[in-house]
Amino acid sequence: MQAFVQPGFWVFVLALAGIYGIFALGLQIQYGVGGIMNFGHVGMMAVSGYSIAVLVIKYQWSFWWAAFFGVVLAAFLGALLGLTTLRLSGDYFAIASIAFAEITRYWILNTDSVTGGTQGTLAIPSPSGFGGYTDQPDKILTWISDLLYPIVGDEASRDMAMIFIVWPFLFLLILISSRLQQTSWARVLRATREDDDVPRSLGKNVFRFRLQTLIIGSVFGGIAGVFWALQFALLAPEDFLRIVTFYGWMILILAGATRVKGLIIASIFFGFLYGSTRFLEFWPLSLLSSPERAYLRVFLIGLVIVLLMVKRPQGLFGKRQEMVLE
Amino acid sequence: MNQSAKTSSGNSNSSNLDSVTLDVKDISVSFGGVKPVQNVSFSIKENSFTSVIGPNGAGKTSLFNLISGINKVSSGEIIFRGEAIESIHAHKIAQKGLIRTFQGAKIIKRLTVAENLMMAVKDNPGDNLSGFLKPKKRKAFELLARAEAMRRLDQVGLTKFADEYAGILSGGQRKLLDLSRALMAKPSLLLLDEPFAGVNPTLVEKLLTVLAELRKEQSMTFLLIEHDLETVMNISDRVIVMADGKIIADGLPNSIYENELVIDAYLGSRRKDA
Repeated sequence: MQAFVQPGFWVFVLALAGIYGIFALGLQIQYGVGGIMNFGHVGMMAVSGYSIAVLVIKYQWSFWWAAFFGVVLAAFLGALLGLTTLRLSGDYFAIASIAFAEITRYWILNTDSVTGGTQGTLAIPSPSGFGGYTDQPDKILTWISDLLYPIVGDEASRDMAMIFIVWPFLFLLILISSRLQQTSWARVLRATREDDDVPRSLGKNVFRFRLQTLIIGSVFGGIAGVFWALQFALLAPEDFLRIVTFYGWMILILAGATRVKGLIIASIFFGFLYGSTRFLEFWPLSLLSSPERAYLRVFLIGLVIVLLMVKRPQGLFGKRQEMVLE
Repeated sequence: MNQSAKTSSGNSNSSNLDSVTLDVKDISVSFGGVKPVQNVSFSIKENSFTSVIGPNGAGKTSLFNLISGINKVSSGEIIFRGEAIESIHAHKIAQKGLIRTFQGAKIIKRLTVAENLMMAVKDNPGDNLSGFLKPKKRKAFELLARAEAMRRLDQVGLTKFADEYAGILSGGQRKLLDLSRALMAKPSLLLLDEPFAGVNPTLVEKLLTVLAELRKEQSMTFLLIEHDLETVMNISDRVIVMADGKIIADGLPNSIYENELVIDAYLGSRRKDA
């Protein structure tokens, strides 16, 4: 339990929460506004994260251009996914989106010469012989932690510097997203969430609105992938399992799907849950090994979702009235 | 029935009356073995008020679904203001000015009553993502849309619900919202699918007056599905009667009332009882 009072633990929780907050923001605009059930969101994170690693390590791109390209590629794939499958109704699209994310992951897994395959980005063939891709942003992270050193002393770390990059981005993206959700564009989207025929019969191109939402959500997923790649500095295919998408869904359900600002608290709660399970060392959990305890997070997250569905289906910040309207 | 509605709508024959707004040519649709609309043809003149009547299951709503593009025809042609629309998307048909309401009053429950109306406004710059970058223009348009929505709500007595979720409205109120929303889109041809079902008679009279005014002032054309024959007879220039997916009679309201086929298929017991 001592780990919980260590600043380093909370720094990690906050850095992780910021990345997952951006990730969940993509799901929020897709589902909370547009009613699109995307269960393959992790694919966008994988695409942008791996784009950076491959372009920097194998093709010697600048990290910044690679990050930009990764986000654009995520947006492009979001458009491709939408153009091919968005005409499917809710559940069928959800299944297609899972397939998209799995195809992406299997492609990464089986294209060793480009992605490093099962060994991850360390195995990407590099002209320089070095498999790192964070040299350029690391300079900024080091600069930030140097600035923090006089204030927090030895606690100044790379993770802490990450917080100062990720969280302003999260706030900025939340601000943009919440402004966007106050427009008539979002009003039409909220209508499509309930009934396609109404906006269609009023002259609104429902497909266009949905496609735009899917692309915007994919951009957020891609940005989360950039920060993920930066945070962990090493990527492997198992970082992008289906469960990651459902972590995002948990944050969304916790916040209340229509409440964009609730994502801040919900992602911190998730970060705590995610980061803390391995430190639950008291009996009877002490009978489990540390990696085994880490898997408790999956059970705990499932339990939280079930409890929320039963006790507070609108989430912590959602309006109950919205759930009961018939 | 409100006399003003009767005189200002049912009897108004503008100079535009000869130009055809909607031309339905031999349309049919089949869903598997079911053929809800079979070889239906008729034309609607501009600024006219036409009603479609018939027993339940006659194919009236299916006809509206075909005209508005919600469903596509299996065969036949639909010409709206000189342009074939049978194979284009529903939203494009609506953009051309052909707007409809729904039999079941489809409202968006989790939008407020005012938002339901504001959604219908045409050419809203905020409907495009590029509008996000022009906040002044977008907000100015929103203010106008809100003012127009409040005016429409006032017409149907829903002002006090403006900022409530539409899901709290009763069945009759939802009908009113559906109708007001369609009017917000400023249609040139409005398809009304049983708009007065469940609405109290006083308000029906008021709405008929509003429709009559719109017809007179904005040259709007109406196609109405309605079961209340008194309303139909008073407001319509012409009545089309459907049964089993086909048109069995088409003519002036009075002639329809005397048509033997119509009496057998639809009016029968009611006329005999009377």
